[in-house]
Amino acid sequence: VFSWGSFHNAAPAVKKSRVFYGSLEEKERERLSSEAASSAASGSDAVKAGIEAGNINISSGETLEMEERVSERQQEALAAFERRRRARQITVSTDDAEVKAGLRALGEPITLFGEGPADRRERLRSVLSVVGPDALKKSRRDEERAKRSQDECQQTWYHEGSASLKDARLWLAKYSLPRAMRRLEAARAQRDVTEATRTIRQQELHKSLRNLNNFCSQIGDDRPISFCHFSADSKMLATASWSGLCKLWSVPDCNLIRTLRGHNTNVGAVVFRPQAGVSLDQSDVNLASCAADGSVKLWNLESDEPVADIEGHSERVSRVSWHPSGRFLGTTSYDRSWRLWDLEVQEEILHQEGHSKGVHDIHFHPDGSLAATGGLDSFGRVWDLRTGRCVVFLEGHLKEIYSLHFSPNGYHLATGSGDNTCKVWELRNRKCLYTVPAHQNLLSAVRFQPTDGHFLLTGAYDNTAKVWSHPGWTPLKTLAGHEGKVMGVDVSPDGKLIATCSYDRTFKLWLSE
Amino acid sequence: MSDTGRMEELRPWVERTVKKVLGFSEPTVVTAALHCVGKGLDKRKTIDQLRPFLDDSAGGFVERLFEALEESRSARGNKGGGEKHRKRDLKVKAPEPGDGTVAKRKRVPRFEEVEEPEVIPGPPSESPGMLTKMQIKQMMEAATKQIEERKKQLMSRLLGTPAAAAASGGSSIAPSQAASFMNDAIEKARKAAELQARIQSQLAMKPGILGALGNTGPHNLVALANLHAMGIAPPKVEAKEVNKPTPLILDDKGRTVDASGKEVELTHRMPTLKANIRAVKREQFRQQLKEKPGEDLESTSYFDQRVFITPAQRPRRAFKFHDQGRFEKIAQRIRTKAQLERLQCEIAQAAKKTGIQASTKLALIAPKKEIGEGEVPHIEWWDSFILTPDTKFEGMELFGVTNLVEHPAQISPPVDTDKPVTLGVYLTKKEQKKLRRQTRREGQKEVQEKVRLGLMPPPEPKVRISNLMRVLGTEAVQDPTKVEAHVRAQMAKRQKAHEEANAARKLTAEQRKEKKVKKLKEDLINGVHVSVYRIRNLQNPAKKFKVEANANQLYLTGTVVLHRDVNLVVVEGGPKSQKKFKKLMLHRIKWEEHNSKRDDPDGDDDTKRNNKCWLIWEGTTKERSFGEMKFKQCPTENMAREHFKKHGTEHYWDLALSKSVLDGCTDD
Repeated sequence: VFSWGSFHNAAPAVKKSRVFYGSLEEKERERLSSEAASSAASGSDAVKAGIEAGNINISSGETLEMEERVSERQQEALAAFERRRRARQITVSTDDAEVKAGLRALGEPITLFGEGPADRRERLRSVLSVVGPDALKKSRRDEERAKRSQDECQQTWYHEGSASLKDARLWLAKYSLPRAMRRLEAARAQRDVTEATRTIRQQELHKSLRNLNNFCSQIGDDRPISFCHFSADSKMLATASWSGLCKLWSVPDCNLIRTLRGHNTNVGAVVFRPQAGVSLDQSDVNLASCAADGSVKLWNLESDEPVADIEGHSERVSRVSWHPSGRFLGTTSYDRSWRLWDLEVQEEILHQEGHSKGVHDIHFHPDGSLAATGGLDSFGRVWDLRTGRCVVFLEGHLKEIYSLHFSPNGYHLATGSGDNTCKVWELRNRKCLYTVPAHQNLLSAVRFQPTDGHFLLTGAYDNTAKVWSHPGWTPLKTLAGHEGKVMGVDVSPDGKLIATCSYDRTFKLWLSE
Repeated sequence: MSDTGRMEELRPWVERTVKKVLGFSEPTVVTAALHCVGKGLDKRKTIDQLRPFLDDSAGGFVERLFEALEESRSARGNKGGGEKHRKRDLKVKAPEPGDGTVAKRKRVPRFEEVEEPEVIPGPPSESPGMLTKMQIKQMMEAATKQIEERKKQLMSRLLGTPAAAAASGGSSIAPSQAASFMNDAIEKARKAAELQARIQSQLAMKPGILGALGNTGPHNLVALANLHAMGIAPPKVEAKEVNKPTPLILDDKGRTVDASGKEVELTHRMPTLKANIRAVKREQFRQQLKEKPGEDLESTSYFDQRVFITPAQRPRRAFKFHDQGRFEKIAQRIRTKAQLERLQCEIAQAAKKTGIQASTKLALIAPKKEIGEGEVPHIEWWDSFILTPDTKFEGMELFGVTNLVEHPAQISPPVDTDKPVTLGVYLTKKEQKKLRRQTRREGQKEVQEKVRLGLMPPPEPKVRISNLMRVLGTEAVQDPTKVEAHVRAQMAKRQKAHEEANAARKLTAEQRKEKKVKKLKEDLINGVHVSVYRIRNLQNPAKKFKVEANANQLYLTGTVVLHRDVNLVVVEGGPKSQKKFKKLMLHRIKWEEHNSKRDDPDGDDDTKRNNKCWLIWEGTTKERSFGEMKFKQCPTENMAREHFKKHGTEHYWDLALSKSVLDGCTDD
């Protein structure tokens, strides 16, 4: 702003338009002369008379405070201008529902008689221009904070489950304890094997793994294949697709045996029951699958329709897993919980919370005593199925845990995460044994060698799967060949074949020559 | 120096050698040998030439002859080069005759692979100073011997000619013949004297030798030469003793005495006038002048050393042949090498077939320290919770199995990815213009309103050159200059105000810098992005600099570990910087180097030629593990692993190392 007055002096006067109607000299002369005459006659008298009559008022020095009142008014006007300016700058949602919610949050009537959305919006804007635009945000944030702090300060608490839960737990204890004993005995026996023999075996294994090669590749569906799983007898492979179809393939010739139709959306996992194909009847429940719409279905090996549906999930179910006994089924849900279903009583016996975000994967301990869950909150939890307590808290990953797998030796647990690492945890002393910087994208699947856990298989979204020695964690072989991200991997129970399935709609089998 | 002169010089040595070999002197052999040398024949040919004279001992003789030749050459080289040359000789010990060989050595060898030693090192020589001294001694001895011999010969001839003549055929010698003999003898004597003079001059041209001989001064030398001329062997003591410092013995009175107790007058340095010194010097010089002509007159009265006589014809340049079998040897060596390589390759192939190599390599990368398997526990700890220690399974006294469902405290994740991702609102050009138009219109309306309400004085009418007549009509007519000046001032003011407003909006230099830095220093709340690169060879300082400078400029932290085949670069920072650094490492830097000629041949290894950079791993971690970018040279693997372990990132190293080992496996 520059000074106005200083230039005004120097500036030439603005041109005024004039109209000239001829000379006024005569008239003016007449007027002046008459004026002079009248003033001379009755100038002061008339004034005095006027004053006396009260027609002429001359103040005696006192003044009225006009200025202040004027400046007040000016102030008000300026404030109004300022407010209007501010209102112009406030952005208000064009969504009528949001506008109403905003008005309600500010304690205003959400609508007036005859008011349309545009008027309402203007009203909200004018209100906000008075109270400040932060008022709305602040209230929302306060709410969130309150909620979160409530969550955080939440203490561990218990509630009593159903009676069938206790029965199941007792059954689980009786099932798992002898298995643990047998496993430990076997481990002790294994220790007696001489160092040299062990080294030779290891070297042979490494040599065979180094020779892993693509054995066959099969287009599994017309949508990405999200999961693959071998049956216990290594004769079948089940694949799940985003088209909602699950398929059974014969191994190793990769012929389609059956298509399982039942899901409508992306199938997250399809898993063989541990005894399927070995001791289980064909008509019995042999498979379980889950989908993104929260449906979980059970299948047998005879029909392509589901045997049973498990209902109860409202959100996405990412994985299902069978308890080694085959009696229980675990499912993970994005509603921040995982559940345990008892097939004998045919009910949900446990709804387990604990993760602060959705749970993605679950795997049961080979003994049947523990279950490990990993979630989007990047923490893993190991639960004791007998007591129902969280016994180990796996903290270390930076991003979501997408896969967990117990080693058959019973005390190693591998987790694959979105931070491109795979961590191997030692359960006996509850710490992270090693961090494998495994891939260049998130790890979608982790598997141990099912026979004796001497190698680790990881699949990732960088289109490769890798085989790592365990322990040692040296990259023995990179299984490259997929054109899309690898979404699932599996090792056949006899340890000979490796299957990978991918976003590129194929699954591949890998075999050591 | 002329060729014949050189021959003359060599003659005494040759004679001496002949005498040593045969046991007696034989001038024919000497001449023949000199002839051979003069022609520049090589050893073999010389042997052939001399075989008729010397039979079996020809080889040995020629060997010695060439040694002598070599010596004389080096002596000549020393003499010719003067002081400077001698100095260089002190440094360069190899007995090189001239500059020609030095030049020859610089020649680029035709066969790079097999380095043939260019210079066959001669017999180990003493230090050059010593050599010259010995040579001097030899020269002197040889000269004196020769002179004596000559004298003897002369005498024997003079005395024994009649007898010899009688023996030859019984006929007496005519006086004219005798006279000719005599003349001969005199001629020879003269030659001998000439020779002496030459030696003398040679010695004179070597100031170093003069120094070695001590401070005997020119008088002494001249006397020595005179002695030679007279054929009397010079006393050999000086040369040996002058080098040693004489022992300083003081008697009880403090005077200097020698071993026998006689007082010795040491040269006292008394301060004296320059004029006196000059006078003494002048005197000495005059004396020299006086003496010299007398001495010179005898030998070189018609010889002016300053005149350089060019030989009549240019000496024929000899061929320089390679030694026989040199290239055969090189070829043989190459063949052997190739064969060896082939053999190694075969072995490797065989090993691969049988799987020996893979297993050994894998054993190599197997963890040094096996993860402690520990004892197999009697019972797992999670089972021990529900099992009292002394229970039998049959009894199943289970403890703590209830129907309680736990709700553990929920822990919020380390990185909060809940925040909804909001995209910025980007307007089209049209929308931008519309928005601007609207806001400006509203602003103008506001100002108008204010003016109307009297809250603000009305703005001055805006005048331009184009509208000044309309706005300021009469004034413009009355005083156009003033009005135009006013209009122009107003325009300038408007312009200035506009520019000032722009400048006020602009960020200051500091703010701009801050903004840039802020952009580069990214928000790392959601984890630090880490990438690990492996490079085969990171010795090139230019490349090292690029890595370091770029990391620092992108505000990346990390470390570089230099190890033989595994040079590891670990960088941590935001995703954008990582992207840029990745481009640098994988595309912008050309890693493979084709070594130029300047590089030394041993730097030309496989890693340099097939240098490469791999991205070993990229991912995220919670925190930075390293500080400012630092280089660390690690000679051993353990050291490197320790370095990483210190920062809790040993898995980077393990991965890189095992990858390098396995790569090597597949390469073979």
